[in-house]
Amino acid sequence: MSAVADAPATRAVHRAPATGGRGSLFRAELHRLRSRRFLRILLGLAVLGWIAATLVAHGHYGVPTDADRATARQTVQQILQQSEAGRQQCLNDPNRPTGVPPEEACGPPVTAADFSVNDFLPHQPFDLARTGTAGALGFGAAAAVLAFLVGATWIGAEWSSRSLVALLFWVPRRSTVMGTKIAVLVLASALLGVLAQGAWLATAGILRAVDSTGGALPHGFWGHLLATQGRGVLLTVFAALLGFGLTNLIRNTGAALGIGFVYFAVIETAVKILRPAWEPWLLSSNAAGLIAPGGLKIYIFDRAGRTGFNEPRVYLVHNLQAGIVLGVVTAVLVGAGVYLFQRRDLH
Amino acid sequence: MPAVQMAAVSKTYRRRGRPPQKALDGLDLLVESGGVHGFLGPNGSGKTTTIRVLLGLVRPDDGGTIRLLDRAVPAGLPEVVGGVGALVETPLFFPGFTGRLNLMLLAEAAGVPRARVEECLELVDLTDRADDRFKGYSLGMKQRLGIAAALLKAPRLLILDEPSNGLDPAGIRDVRELIRRLGRDGSTTVLLSSHLLAEIQQVADTVTILARGRRVASGAVAEVLAGRSAGEVRVRVPDAGMAATILAGAGFSVSPPDVPDGRTLLVHGVAAPGEITRVLAGQGTYVEELTPMTADLETAFLALTGDPA
Repeated sequence: MSAVADAPATRAVHRAPATGGRGSLFRAELHRLRSRRFLRILLGLAVLGWIAATLVAHGHYGVPTDADRATARQTVQQILQQSEAGRQQCLNDPNRPTGVPPEEACGPPVTAADFSVNDFLPHQPFDLARTGTAGALGFGAAAAVLAFLVGATWIGAEWSSRSLVALLFWVPRRSTVMGTKIAVLVLASALLGVLAQGAWLATAGILRAVDSTGGALPHGFWGHLLATQGRGVLLTVFAALLGFGLTNLIRNTGAALGIGFVYFAVIETAVKILRPAWEPWLLSSNAAGLIAPGGLKIYIFDRAGRTGFNEPRVYLVHNLQAGIVLGVVTAVLVGAGVYLFQRRDLH
Repeated sequence: MPAVQMAAVSKTYRRRGRPPQKALDGLDLLVESGGVHGFLGPNGSGKTTTIRVLLGLVRPDDGGTIRLLDRAVPAGLPEVVGGVGALVETPLFFPGFTGRLNLMLLAEAAGVPRARVEECLELVDLTDRADDRFKGYSLGMKQRLGIAAALLKAPRLLILDEPSNGLDPAGIRDVRELIRRLGRDGSTTVLLSSHLLAEIQQVADTVTILARGRRVASGAVAEVLAGRSAGEVRVRVPDAGMAATILAGAGFSVSPPDVPDGRTLLVHGVAAPGEITRVLAGQGTYVEELTPMTADLETAFLALTGDPA
């Protein structure tokens, strides 16, 4: 540290411009989040995953040739013939129970209308109208998992390094510090959600261009898909805040991720088995209920009907209800963490 | 205007399942502006708690008053925090970021120009390693980065908690030189908490000594030391036995040194050391050495705190 003893250093020690400029905690926190190596690795892996998923989908779908269709039709014919032969054998069987109608004993005759030739093609064409919503759900779920990890590790790393405490030497208002971090996380997770949905649209666009036979999309398709994607972005934000809130509450990333795993893998499974009536209130049910078009139907087997068998009742977790449940849980977790952060002594 | 004023400040830690622990017990602390103020106390005496209270990290018990750069803490802290630099215990930085990035993020949050980051890195001789990750730094380098962060704001009040921790001898010397220089410039007040008594004695102008959460002494270092001096004088003569007889006969309190050598003796409660020379010379014994024994800070510290450092 010889420079300390050198005379030129004196100039630097004293009265250099201090905090005269207008600082931006938001900009600094955004910079901090962007600079995180874990986030970069996670995004890198997500991009690789997206490329892999697109390639796998491309391998799964394909534009059928005339030869493929002829082979598929031939396969259907073979199945029909085998089926009819088996039925005739059944009808001619002397041991066939008497008093039972032939249709009931050997089944109705199978016709070509019972099969779709497309099901026997080696590669089915990509159909955006059929898979658009499912893709948005899948990409939304993947983005939510990533967002949970980002939220949890971001604040967890701050606690483990205690750099959060050091920041208070510069910005002593704890509510400002925590509020800024939450705002940055909301922005970042929303961006992540939008990127994930954009990635799905890109995948769908590639598959539609390469592996589709074309065809018009049904009326209102895009509005329906964009609404689903919007709810997917909302789920991503909720997931990031849940990870953040849980970790901020217990100040340990590993413990928070462990609690998350135990909750989803153990507690939710146990609840579904032991208390099926509570299933509509589980986080995973509400996550699915938020993003799925029209909500999520849950079949609850919690009572015996007149036949003595359990007859399910259907509970619809509507989009709005799911949003409110997730919003309340998120607000409680984040709010409790912020409250304790403001009240606690920091060491 | 004092840089730091604390009056009757108490802090009790309450943890579930444990009895309450009083870390500060009606502490009074006054640090005038300018110069270096040493903050001494044995382990657990409340030094770091005091600093945490000053920085708003720990909430004190009701009743006391705290002012930092003439603003009440914690309400007025945001108004003056731009003028306060602090290094508390170990530097707190993000381990995966480089030293430069860690400083830049702080500077960005507070509106400190980017050039100041480079100045501070140069100041603590970390420019060459500024792009290494913090987690790869040695303890001394971490400490130096912490000092650089504390200086980033060119603070009016610099609070340093054990700044020499982990530094090599050359680093310790440089930090002391830096602190001295800051204390001399007239516009910076340094509150230096250290367990290195020699460091405080060499660097500080004033000192507060803490024991069990209370102030036990404060003032200029020289005054605190003078207050602990017993007026002891070491005398070297050709014949210690004869000199002891003469001085005892003249009413002086005399004792041999810890390791008697036949030529040295200790005289206690001496108001005017010249009187010893006069009495001995009057009896034909001439003094070869006469040394007033002043207490060092360690002696004063141990006596005041009643606790081994």
